[in-house]
Amino acid sequence: MPALQNIFKVASNDKLSPRFHRLCIKSKPLIKDVKPGQFVHLRVRDGLEPFFRRPFSVYRNKKHLEVFYEPIGPGTELMSQLREGDDIDVLGPVGTPFSMPGKNIKQVVMIAGGIGIAPFLMLSDVLKRRNLDLVLLYGGRTMGHVYPMKEFKENGCKIFVATDDGSVGAKGRVSKLFSKINKDPKTTMLYTCGPNPMMAAVQAFAKKYHLKGEVACEEVMACALGACLGCSIRTTSGFKTVCYDGPVFDLDEVIFD
Amino acid sequence: MKISVKIGKAVFKNPVTIASGTFAHAEKYYNLEEVKKLGSLIPKTVTLRAQEGNPPPRIIETPSGMLNAIGIENPGIDTFIENKIPSLQKIGIPLILSILGHTDKEFIQIVEKLNQVKNISAIELNLSCPNLKHKTLVAQSEKATARLVRSVKKISKVPVIAKLSPNVTDISSIAKAAEGAGADAVSLINTLTAMVINTKTRKSALGNFTGGLSGPAIRPVAVHMVYRVAQRVKIPIIAMGGIMTADDALQYILAGASFVAVGTANFVNPRAPLDVLEGIKAYMRKNKIKDIRHLIGKVES
Ligand SMILES: Cc1cc2nc3c(=O)[nH]c(=O)nc-3n(C[C@H](O)[C@H](O)[C@H](O)COP(=O)(O)OP(=O)(O)OC[C@H]3O[C@@H](n4cnc5c(N)ncnc54)[C@H](O)[C@@H]3O)c2cc1C
Ligand SMILES: Cc1cc2nc3c(=O)[nH]c(=O)nc-3n(C[C@H](O)[C@H](O)[C@H](O)COP(=O)(O)O)c2cc1C
Ligand code: FES
Repeated sequence: MPALQNIFKVASNDKLSPRFHRLCIKSKPLIKDVKPGQFVHLRVRDGLEPFFRRPFSVYRNKKHLEVFYEPIGPGTELMSQLREGDDIDVLGPVGTPFSMPGKNIKQVVMIAGGIGIAPFLMLSDVLKRRNLDLVLLYGGRTMGHVYPMKEFKENGCKIFVATDDGSVGAKGRVSKLFSKINKDPKTTMLYTCGPNPMMAAVQAFAKKYHLKGEVACEEVMACALGACLGCSIRTTSGFKTVCYDGPVFDLDEVIFD
Repeated sequence: MKISVKIGKAVFKNPVTIASGTFAHAEKYYNLEEVKKLGSLIPKTVTLRAQEGNPPPRIIETPSGMLNAIGIENPGIDTFIENKIPSLQKIGIPLILSILGHTDKEFIQIVEKLNQVKNISAIELNLSCPNLKHKTLVAQSEKATARLVRSVKKISKVPVIAKLSPNVTDISSIAKAAEGAGADAVSLINTLTAMVINTKTRKSALGNFTGGLSGPAIRPVAVHMVYRVAQRVKIPIIAMGGIMTADDALQYILAGASFVAVGTANFVNPRAPLDVLEGIKAYMRKNKIKDIRHLIGKVES
């Protein structure tokens, strides 16, 4: 078992689009065991500011462990300044991964909003080996916010996009795209990650058509180890920690307020 | 080199422990061979009945620290004894169990249950959680502290520790009251009541409105409190508040602490407790100190 916490070297750190960056970490000991939906808890530099680590989904585990991120505050801004050869303190991967679709499933639908797309590339990397229809429904604010879909296309995903202003794809929320998929509950599995209102909409949709699914949640974290009980969210069976019980939950289990 | 320390009749192989509420799931994540090196472990506070804790958000980062308002989420003492104690005991280091009753009677009921459990090294009475709906904390009154400690001491089979609050005018008087009532040790400090306001929403950043401040931000305050308490009591002090490194821990030892607990630092650096232990040993080697007792309270004035 690899150590819980390791100092690794940055392999590369690139801006892939106006909003999104990709950090590749030379972390060979972790590559083999990581599963889609798990995350790493990163400390970008020593010192006390920012004080907490920052959690990021594992985006890919090819040669390096990859993280896909959007600079939105002090932690992610600092991260965007990392250069090849810099040290990075990696805790994890931790968290409960996505469960794999059962034998009867024919269509897998990934529904993502914004940076919520991060955990799905690896999921599609794993699922493309099976004979499944992979569908990606993606919602972004406007053109510059839309994820460059190249890798998903290479993995054989059918892709539908919606933007709030209609600059790419359909105009409106990702729920505009629900009409694009087959709604047979026996053969369909949903996975979703994004802002809470979007995930709540997916939950309502799934309920209406009796579709099974899973959701990857976000919450501010301190430990990411289930120790502090700081990242709890409401579920149908009481509070659960996003870092330890999740981040992946059954879609019908989470109570979005 | 001698680094073992005592509380009452309980002996601990070294002074480094983990503060309540900051460690979990040892088996899944930690190398137990390493955790075994610590002197003891204080798990999350347990109450008589299960508590679901406070509404989210429960934590927020602050300059060099954090606020928390977890609200003692825990499974209740019966489930804890049945499901959690066995796995905690498997780690193989002494356990100091932190408990909280909402009344004196509840404290007694919990201690009675713990009296049936083998291999517990001590009980820590959490008299100082700031995140419950209590108007005043036990640890804010000398009288209440003394009364509770006395009644628990009467029945407990193991040494009793009183965990004190910094939210008082003079923590050393409360410590003195605990000692007078028979406490075998005091631990300090619990978190400082605090709040962060989100100016966009004009609401508190925490679901519980207020929270408790911990981490390096509170360390100098806590070091001073430990120093003050050490001037007044003879029982051992378990010190905590922002310990990230061995140097931080040594400050507390020089101020008068026999034990040092690592709390919030576990969230940033899970290796912190071990680093602290190694660093204390290195300091003693370098300064040719043969017994840790020669360091305790040795700050020069
Ligand atoms: C399991 C998990 C996986 C994640 N995966 C990714 C990922 O793959 N790529 C990515 O870019 N981001 C991801 N995030 C979110 C990422 O952790 C935050 O963007 C980051 O912590 C922000 O730090 P900052 O210092 O840059 O900004 P801050 O100033 O800390 O935050 C900016 C804003 O984001 C909110 N925020 C901060 N931390 C979180 C958090 N953990 N969850 C939700 N909101 C938060 C704050 O409330 C604030 O409004 C993930 C979060 C979780 C919990
Ligand atoms: C998330 C969190 C949960 C805590 N839970 C408890 C608890 O259950 N019981 C308790 O006595 N103290 C609890 N504490 C307080 C710590 O044990 C410690 O007294 C305090 O945080 C100061 O030490 P530190 O700065 O090293 O964390 C908690 C602290 C934090 C940050
Ligand atoms: S972040 Fe500490 S329990 Fe989840």
